[in-house]
Amino acid sequence: MNFEQFQNQSRLYVIGALEPEETEEFEKARQKFGKKGEDFLTKCYALHEAFALSLRPAKSSDAIKERLMAMVRAKKET
Amino acid sequence: MKGIQAGDADALSQLYDRYNGILKALILRVIHNEAEADDLLQEIFMEIWNQAKNFSPQKGKPLGWMVTLARRRAIDGLRKKQAYARAEERLQNETEQQPDAWVHNATEDEIILSDTRVLIRKVISSLPPAQQQAIDLAFFRGMSQREIAAKTNTPLGTVKTRLELGLKKIYDGLKDLRDEL
Repeated sequence: MNFEQFQNQSRLYVIGALEPEETEEFEKARQKFGKKGEDFLTKCYALHEAFALSLRPAKSSDAIKERLMAMVRAKKET
Repeated sequence: MKGIQAGDADALSQLYDRYNGILKALILRVIHNEAEADDLLQEIFMEIWNQAKNFSPQKGKPLGWMVTLARRRAIDGLRKKQAYARAEERLQNETEQQPDAWVHNATEDEIILSDTRVLIRKVISSLPPAQQQAIDLAFFRGMSQREIAAKTNTPLGTVKTRLELGLKKIYDGLKDLRDEL
């Protein structure tokens, strides 16, 4: 796998779209490209943020935050 | 995130205020159920609190880490309930039925996010519909290439090409935004 192919596979990998047999090959290439490969892969995760930010924010119930903070406070006390 | 890693509950409260809308929208896009999305949102923020020590700024921005976590949990939830069929029916009825009625005084953060959303949507909408669909099914539904091929009655190789081309275009199109994300 050359680096251009690795880049294509990286973008599929971060969204979980590689098939199992491709993942195996991808992991080998990932080791082969080392830091350069890891740096590119990290950049690809920006796709996750982009897809999330492409959606209009949804309002959640105020009770959710109250419940969450109560759980956090209870956990801190134990 | 540093505050959360140090066990500061106020930091979690601030993080929640800033990002709950984005994460809820993502969860809703996957599971299409308001009440379940709220429950999952609460669980995800609890997981953020519990797992904050595993976050490393070298590996990306906090939002990216949270989105990855939220997406995984939402897709797991969808699979566990084996609700594909039900969600699909809702999806058809509620396509893009996001809460437009969320009208309030926008904060500066929200205005910036809104500008970002417009730019990202512009990049995504420039793709051919078939590429958009393949990416949507992969990212928001957690489908494999084979599942997408079966669902869209398209050869596997074509699905792979659509995903590769579409993701590359989005990746390249977001170059200017990437440092901000």
